[in-house]
Amino acid sequence: MKKSMTPKQRKLAHELITNPPPGSKLAAAKEWGVDLTLLYANLLRTPTERARSFASMTRPFDNLRSREKKTAQG
Amino acid sequence: MKELPEILKTLYDAQVDFVVIGGAAMHLQGSAYVTKDVDFCYARTPQNIKRLTVALKPYHPVLRGAPAGLPFTFDARTVTQGMNFTLSTDLGDLDFLGEVAGLGAFEQVKAAADMQIIDGMEIAVLSLVGLIKSKKAAGRPRDLYVLPELEGLEQLKRKTGAK
Repeated sequence: MKKSMTPKQRKLAHELITNPPPGSKLAAAKEWGVDLTLLYANLLRTPTERARSFASMTRPFDNLRSREKKTAQG
Repeated sequence: MKELPEILKTLYDAQVDFVVIGGAAMHLQGSAYVTKDVDFCYARTPQNIKRLTVALKPYHPVLRGAPAGLPFTFDARTVTQGMNFTLSTDLGDLDFLGEVAGLGAFEQVKAAADMQIIDGMEIAVLSLVGLIKSKKAAGRPRDLYVLPELEGLEQLKRKTGAK
């Protein structure tokens, strides 16, 4: 599988999420409660890998909706 | 919901001119945001509207949340007379917008998109800069809530050159 980041890019990204520069948008995101390690993990994936993971993340919603439908139908 | 690449392939194979926007675009750009529908902006040319309606017909599109029995046919005439459609289909919940807040009509949205290679298809995905602009313009609490993540992610990608 093709890598989405070079080793140099990975190193820089890891440094930035570990120690976001004070006053930066990354620091603000961290302060807001964003888990920067999740962003890093996502950037390690290629767009195809991200697209393939999309449905698996939405599956809990689908399950909940089918359960609600069944309940409504009695 | 079907896998996202399968949904994209349905539109891509039918040569529909579209841009992935909203939560799915956020996910494809690297966000950790989760959504249960897939939003698209589509070109409102007669040819594209025909391609879109033909492509979706086998998947039984109906208006999401509409009362049962409400007559609705997702055909070229309906789409031409409307603008934005929130659909339930056999592929999943799909929303098709003719324009996007803060960006404008399809041409402007496409100009604000990145091309991503997904399963060998070249797909237009709204860029982080475009997503930030549209979220700011929409201004609803749920849009503003994701802004810090989008802005942080945009900075991370810009500084590292990551795709």
